[in-house]
Amino acid sequence: MSHSELKNKQPALHLPRYFTAVLVIFLALLGVCVIASLVLGSKAVNGQALIDGLFHPDIDSFEANIVRKRISRTVFSLFCGAALGVAGSLMQSVTRNPLADPSILGINTGASLFVVCGIAFLNISTANQYIGLALVGSAVTAVFVFGIGSMGRGGATPIKLVLAGAATSAALSSLVTAIMIPRSYAMDQFRFWQVGSVGSGTWSGIGAFLPFLIIGSLVAFLTAPALNALALGDDVATGLGVRTGTLRLVAALAGVLLCGATTALAGPIGFIGLLSTHLVRLILGPDLRLVIPMSAISGAIILTLSDVLGRLIGSPGELEVGVVTAFIGAPVLILLAKKAKVRSL
Amino acid sequence: MKPTHVFQAEQLVAGYENKTVIHGVDLVIPSHQISVMIGANGCGKSTLLKSLARLIKPTSGNITLDGKPLAKIPPKPLARILGLLPQSPIVPEGITVADLVGRGRFPHQSLFGGWTKKDYEAVAVAMRIMNITEYANHHIDELSGGQRQRVWIAMALAQQTDILFLDEPTTFLDITYQVEILDLLTDLNRQQGTTIVMVLHDINLSARYADHIFALHQGKLVAEGKPEEVITSERVKDIFGLDCTVIKDPVSGSPLVVPKGRYHLNEAYIPS
Amino acid sequence: MRDQALEWIMAGRRQRRRRWIVVTSLLAALAIALCCAMLLLGNTIYPVKEVIRALLGEQLKGVSFAVNTIRLPRMLAGLFAGFAFGIAGYTFQTMLRNPLANPNVIGITSGSSAAAVFCIVVLHASETLVSIASVIAGLVTVTIIYLLSRGKAFSIGRLILIGIGLQAMLDAVISYLLLVGAQQDIPAALRWLTGSLNGSQLRELPPLVAAVFVFAPVIIMLGKHLDLLELGEQSASSLGVATDKTRIILILSSVFMIAIATATTGPIAFVSFLAGPIARRLTGVGFSNVIPAGLVGVNLVLAADLIGQFAFEYRFPVGIITGLIGAPYLIFLLIQMNRKGEL
Repeated sequence: MSHSELKNKQPALHLPRYFTAVLVIFLALLGVCVIASLVLGSKAVNGQALIDGLFHPDIDSFEANIVRKRISRTVFSLFCGAALGVAGSLMQSVTRNPLADPSILGINTGASLFVVCGIAFLNISTANQYIGLALVGSAVTAVFVFGIGSMGRGGATPIKLVLAGAATSAALSSLVTAIMIPRSYAMDQFRFWQVGSVGSGTWSGIGAFLPFLIIGSLVAFLTAPALNALALGDDVATGLGVRTGTLRLVAALAGVLLCGATTALAGPIGFIGLLSTHLVRLILGPDLRLVIPMSAISGAIILTLSDVLGRLIGSPGELEVGVVTAFIGAPVLILLAKKAKVRSL
Repeated sequence: MKPTHVFQAEQLVAGYENKTVIHGVDLVIPSHQISVMIGANGCGKSTLLKSLARLIKPTSGNITLDGKPLAKIPPKPLARILGLLPQSPIVPEGITVADLVGRGRFPHQSLFGGWTKKDYEAVAVAMRIMNITEYANHHIDELSGGQRQRVWIAMALAQQTDILFLDEPTTFLDITYQVEILDLLTDLNRQQGTTIVMVLHDINLSARYADHIFALHQGKLVAEGKPEEVITSERVKDIFGLDCTVIKDPVSGSPLVVPKGRYHLNEAYIPS
Repeated sequence: MRDQALEWIMAGRRQRRRRWIVVTSLLAALAIALCCAMLLLGNTIYPVKEVIRALLGEQLKGVSFAVNTIRLPRMLAGLFAGFAFGIAGYTFQTMLRNPLANPNVIGITSGSSAAAVFCIVVLHASETLVSIASVIAGLVTVTIIYLLSRGKAFSIGRLILIGIGLQAMLDAVISYLLLVGAQQDIPAALRWLTGSLNGSQLRELPPLVAAVFVFAPVIIMLGKHLDLLELGEQSASSLGVATDKTRIILILSSVFMIAIATATTGPIAFVSFLAGPIARRLTGVGFSNVIPAGLVGVNLVLAADLIGQFAFEYRFPVGIITGLIGAPYLIFLLIQMNRKGEL
């Protein structure tokens, strides 16, 4: 059965009454974040500089130039946030596991390891090479972690998956560090990359990233109805005509695509998928046709906001965004672990 | 023969954080006898057993052993008099049967010393009573459920207490092993005079093996005495909500509860 | 018949005790050998005689500095920290009946590490204050984990998940503190995130040595109690262990040791996780494994540090090496536990 037929069987998309309000608030927040990201930082600029920088390319003031420099960074963080948000939603529904997030499952670290190996041993330098290696790394790690996590009784329960992810992540990051340290003094490339930062966003990087964001998101939106069915359990989904194996593969691939490409260019950034997806589900309920697009928006908001926070807290330097998201995201992980029923652990 | 102890509870109230389960129980454990606590699920028999074995602190009331409040007796001396086999003990991985049984010797040992001759003898005796001598140096993971249960009881025996509490020692066992375990416990009681108090699920096995029955209902002691005094069809109806007829067990003469369902009732067979 | 059964039990017991003694002696011998290696090996390999003379206080050009200022503190830090991590890890694992429930995985070491970083990098505090702060942070972390994971239904799985979350947060705090302290150079980050013996100094050691001498004997003395706690709360209690009191003493002692060790060397990755299971595998279960676990910890740290120093062109800090050994073992252990359905 094709997805369009399945769509016919699903109830029409029921928008909560307050959906418009939520959407407006989200978009407004997004706007605020964008402005904050352009204006704030180790050097804060005023509104005039913002307008000059954005709309008057002829004005060549110091402050306007700062704003212009922050544009690519802001766009990049929006895209990365959206990609991680969607990736989180996909991972959670594919594994039917509320704690699934690319970083918690160690997929980010897998991507890191491959990129680091590439830099160290293959002399890679272009964005496309980074992305290619990161994708392979994410995919291999995802398969590995799911493999371990779903062994034994009860399949991939949250605790098993998280532990498999944490262990794999620990193993891979030891390797990453071991490869990196001897070289880090010589090669700045490592240092700026490993920290997990959107500060490195360049237009060419964004250009290389965009196709992956588009393809990944498109697949996510298209599979959303079928993933809704999957949420009811494999048996029910099969009964509804979903080929669960194929669906899982396609959706997981899309997730890997999104978070692998992000990691390749921004370095490992954690917890965005977990945070954004749970935030949206909390407000709008579990329908993935809503959750996936809204997670993209909330992911963009959270990542951009964290980036701004990192710039403010770390001033005059900057605190890497990965550190900020870990600090915000980990309490949510704890809360979810606390709430989860023992049996479903 | 083990010494006689006066073990009693007065106005015992006990339970968990915000739920009282036992509402004022007075009882005296008959020394040198086998006592069984019966009652429906959730009536508090397991909680009562645990409070008597000082695993749960009572909310109010007194439990005394030979006139001394239980809480005032230091844990190790108390553990030489009073032992408990919990319902689902936890098996450490890779331990041998003899070592596990030997852990029951803890209350008799000093902080550092290894096993004394007495310890070895106690372990050997306990293992022989439970018929597990041949597995002494096997890993416990290699044993079946029934054999493991005998190992646990052997551990409690190695503790050589005068009073032994057992929380559903026969659950999850086949009927053959249930009878075997109860026979072994009776041996222990008859040969060494160990006072045994246990919770059993099966009312008919309780009636057969008990010298003394405590019947609990909703956290209160509603009856106690010899099985034939306590187990009547009215009382079973009261505490289990089960229609039944009680006949004489053709093997032992103890009361035998025969449930009456809604089907398969044949007037010709039901004694009046 | 009677005597035969007794003989049987005694023979098995004797055999297991012999194994325990042999393994423990070998571990101790290996630890001594590694300590000597730590003193003898370095950029320049001095003759044994000169090293001994330098250790005894003679001023020998070059030798005295290398041995007394660099190698001896490094060796002692590794020795005591390894012992502390090994024993404390084993205590937690046994008490909670799960090898994953160790200070390294559930974030206690990260808590102490964060406090140490704060005191050293931000406050420039003295060694004593650093130790005190680390201990307090370790205790606070334990309390938070306990408070968060208790409640309606306690489960070790929940506790471990919460610990993992807490650790992620604390590591973020450490990164932030290093940034604020303008010490975001890689050696400092490595020391406080994965542990390192580089730059250990004699004056940093007294708190650690004192902690090990005070608290390790306490845990060793309670070894039998610990073994009984492993049988579960009810069994231990009915065998005469004052469970609440014992548990608190054990936790306090372990946290003191881990916290002060962490304040000295950083949270050397996975030592507290590896030591217990390795010791158990080597000696079996019949006798208390507290001392073997401590010795395995020593050997792990010292061997890993030697490997890190000399096996590669670049000198890796000890935590990287223990991480490379420990993490695959963690995965292996998870696979085993999953297969058996223990998670």
